[in-house]
Amino acid sequence: MLTRTHLAGWCFALMALVAPSAGFAQAAPGSAQQQAERAATQPGNNAPVWREVRSGQANYTTAQGREAGVLVQSSGDTWRQIRNGPITVYGGWLVVLVALAIAAFYLVRGPIKTHDRPTGNLIYRFSVVERWAHWTLAISFCLLAVTGLTILFGKHVLLPVIGYTLFAWLTLLGKNVHNFVGPIFMASIVVFFLIFVKDNWPSKGDLTWIASAGGLFTGKHVPSGRFNAGEKSWFWMGVVFLGIVSSVSGLVLLFPNFEQLRLTMQQAHVVHSVSGILFMTLSLGHIYVGTIGIEGSYQAMRTGYVDESWAKEHHELWYEDAKKQGANRPAAGGGAVPAGAAQARRDE
Amino acid sequence: MARMKFLCDAERCIECNGCVTACKNENEVPWGVNRRRVVTINDGVIGAEKSMSVACMHCSDAPCMAVCPVDCFYRTEDGVVLHDKDLCIGCGYCFYACPFGAPQFPQAGAFGMRGKMDKCTFCAGGPEADRSESEFKKYGRNRLAEGKLPACAEMCSTKALLGGDGDVIADIYRERVTRRGKGAEVWGWGTAYGPGKPGAQPPAAGGKS
Repeated sequence: MLTRTHLAGWCFALMALVAPSAGFAQAAPGSAQQQAERAATQPGNNAPVWREVRSGQANYTTAQGREAGVLVQSSGDTWRQIRNGPITVYGGWLVVLVALAIAAFYLVRGPIKTHDRPTGNLIYRFSVVERWAHWTLAISFCLLAVTGLTILFGKHVLLPVIGYTLFAWLTLLGKNVHNFVGPIFMASIVVFFLIFVKDNWPSKGDLTWIASAGGLFTGKHVPSGRFNAGEKSWFWMGVVFLGIVSSVSGLVLLFPNFEQLRLTMQQAHVVHSVSGILFMTLSLGHIYVGTIGIEGSYQAMRTGYVDESWAKEHHELWYEDAKKQGANRPAAGGGAVPAGAAQARRDE
Repeated sequence: MARMKFLCDAERCIECNGCVTACKNENEVPWGVNRRRVVTINDGVIGAEKSMSVACMHCSDAPCMAVCPVDCFYRTEDGVVLHDKDLCIGCGYCFYACPFGAPQFPQAGAFGMRGKMDKCTFCAGGPEADRSESEFKKYGRNRLAEGKLPACAEMCSTKALLGGDGDVIADIYRERVTRRGKGAEVWGWGTAYGPGKPGAQPPAAGGKS
């Protein structure tokens, strides 16, 4: 019996004869031609076919679905090495070490209080709309951070403690929270940007502020406008840059129904987790100075009001502007006005 | 214990998709899910066309298992990689990591929202009690518990797709390669040292497969 390979060899020889005139050589793709040649010279040697398989190219299949024709995709294992390697190990330790460094700083330095006693005169710092924009962004960020951390590190940290059933249930809930809060977060970034961008343009004194790290270690105030250079950096590098990077990469993963390939999703996942970890790490600093780190800053975003001495010591240029314009006006939208606010208005 | 393996002989597969059909029928897999598929390389090119049936390869170092955020994969004593659908959160990471495109996700909602992952179980069911109703509904038939091998390999008309104890399958394939009488070329002698004398044919010993 004439074997298939013999037959193939003859067919190829025939093709080779006809090819130069008929242009068949162009019709057959490179690897197919190589395989046909190989089958003639070394029957049973399928090396060109396996090279084609390892190249990750799509071949013919009747199966429906994206990339169904790809027999072997190699990038998945690269993604696995990156995700389970540097991202999990370095990313995890980065978050832990930054949290520990902040805790150590708190233990050494304690909360930063105003040098002068609070005057009792309150100045209006954040409007109702501004506070709503901030807290929508902040709360959605925290939900995304907690659920994101669970998906990346829960297996190593939480699972051994609470067991498979509860952990899987929590992570499923977390995944859905992450998916549905994500778009809220994206929308609130846009609103937040539009509201706060006007006070975040770089200005004179920012470099001085950065050079002395805002007097964090010396305790010496560097005059700044409504937002200091630290807040501006957090605005541009955190909210704007990392916000956009996280949002775009997140959308690629959130909607897998646009025929994006596995490679695209692997790359998006790496970008998303790296930007997420950096975002969380930076946010630890912001959350620290916004709560226990600096006395009075949480109240500013909670109630909208700051004490006069706080304003003078933390945002001197803004304080002078505000005094000139009589900014200790009452809350526009009838927000929570603390007891001292009425006093502030009477003083004017 | 045996180490279960699949092996598809590219010299034998005729792309009939019998394995695919056998799998769908045996396991009553959800609509849109392909636990097994046949891929043809160099389709239509005479002398170069090879077909391969592929499904979960039940890797020893399974990427799906390594990346699963809820650790829902496990390996049976037979080396079969299975997963627990009650734990699966449908994140799709196993699908990113798998080289063979084995993990499948039935769409569970709008915008391509993924349901519980489904994949080839080597006809070995799941964590539920062997041959129970719930096991069948979630994972399909547990043929190993019935003392049978996977339906795809059993149904293969040319015996291209072999499934079972890795040692036995390796013996079958080794014998085939030997009988084909082109061992040197197959194992790379010809690739390394060039073809033999011009016009030399491989030994025409009988029993060619």
